[in-house]
Amino acid sequence: MKTLYFEEVEEGDELPPIDLLLTKAFVRTYARTAGMDFPRFTDDEGARQEGLPGMIAPGVLSMGLLARLIGEWNQAAQITRIGTTFRSPVLPDCAIHLLGFVTQKDAEQHTAECDIWMENDDGERWVIGTASVRLPTQDS
Amino acid sequence: MALEFDRSILGQVFDETDFPPVEKADLLQFADALGETNPLYTDETVAANGPYGGLVAAPTYVTRLRPKKMTPEHMPRFGKVGFDGGRDVEIFAPVRPGDRLKMVSTIHDIYEKTGRSGSMYFIVLRNEITNQDGQQVAIVDHRIMQR
Amino acid sequence: MARVIDLHLHSEASDDSRAPVEAYLKWLARKRDERPLDGIVLTEHRQFDTWSDYRALEDKYGLLILKASEVETEYGHVLVYGVNDAMLRRFDFSNVRLRAQELIDEVARLGGVAMPCHPGRPTIGLIEHYENRPPLEGVVGVEALNGGSKKGENERVAALIDTYGYHAFGGSDAHLVSFVGICATEFEKDITNTGELVEALRTGGYRPVDFRVRRAPVQPAAGGA
Repeated sequence: MKTLYFEEVEEGDELPPIDLLLTKAFVRTYARTAGMDFPRFTDDEGARQEGLPGMIAPGVLSMGLLARLIGEWNQAAQITRIGTTFRSPVLPDCAIHLLGFVTQKDAEQHTAECDIWMENDDGERWVIGTASVRLPTQDS
Repeated sequence: MALEFDRSILGQVFDETDFPPVEKADLLQFADALGETNPLYTDETVAANGPYGGLVAAPTYVTRLRPKKMTPEHMPRFGKVGFDGGRDVEIFAPVRPGDRLKMVSTIHDIYEKTGRSGSMYFIVLRNEITNQDGQQVAIVDHRIMQR
Repeated sequence: MARVIDLHLHSEASDDSRAPVEAYLKWLARKRDERPLDGIVLTEHRQFDTWSDYRALEDKYGLLILKASEVETEYGHVLVYGVNDAMLRRFDFSNVRLRAQELIDEVARLGGVAMPCHPGRPTIGLIEHYENRPPLEGVVGVEALNGGSKKGENERVAALIDTYGYHAFGGSDAHLVSFVGICATEFEKDITNTGELVEALRTGGYRPVDFRVRRAPVQPAAGGA
């Protein structure tokens, strides 16, 4: 875990990627913990009955993982806004890659904007989003 | 060409839910389920010396709060199936153990576009969350896609 | 003067992007070695930006900035270059059920060019519709390389181009700042304004260029986290 001050963060910085094998067990545990214990998130057969190819990960799980990407880059980055678009269903068991960049800095507010997204091994971006973070400064 | 529906439903409160006090175990479980490693969400001792002076919820915890009525009674139906199109979360204050959260839900917007799976209608449900001090905690906009 | 131009991207004026135009320009300046672009064309969803004036930003960053639109038809999404008042009076760009043939004919008559984008994409791409309906008349080119495509979607376009003799161009379809310019179009002649862009797109002498850099494959360890 790392703390980065506003002064140490630059536009163009890459957030250290998180590469995960998103397992069905992990998705089920999340769904149950988050009160989303529905067939489409827990059970292949149940999901197929809803017209899906198999069980899918809840969008908010993808969003939670992208928030984690921010926190692992900089534990002191306080997320003030995070927005994600779920472009494709995320079907476990699959390898996913959580990636991002710092794209803008605001020197008056001590904030930064980040691009964040989840892609698969083929570089298909399944979830895209942005986050605004507030950063500590060295003199505060 | 604007989509036709009764615009008076926009902004009308369709649900108010008071949640039981947030339990520390619940926050820890939620962070664990995401594989969180940030000690501000996972380690009470470290968090006590951190910027919040105590354990707080992982940022997307507010997305797990569900209104009693998931959707308004008179929600327009534009399609047979609904999918989660996306979320936009604005965070104003952290969620802490013991917080008594309240959520007020409205239909914020409805619009149409076409995508990979055909004509898509987006219904944006807005959930505004406050705590026991009346402090604004978060606004969660939930884009439900119908087709 | 511009030869390499990203012909398809969305700024914060589109409902599903939060990228400010200047952030795109700064990113291109930063990535100059990797993505040597001379200009961008903003193609906002279902609307045309008549109000923004980018001349100061063009000077500051030394990049050409033009405006166009991405609209929706029964044959999929179509990029409209050379949008003018007459076109905006003729069509409601926010209508997601525009008639493609009428759009192509009328845009051409009114001085622009309408070009189908991401033709290999399900439902909103041309190829799927060509399987069930007659081909459109007057299409001069299609977006053969789209930076937001899934595996196979760009690859499907080659056969379409072979069959119909369309010109091919490329665009990033960026909705996020860091994706600007990952795909673009290289012109044989310099483009300095919308009129020249429309003329070039109609007559040919351009090709898609791919600046995507693939990340080295990573095999994550088993387990969810």
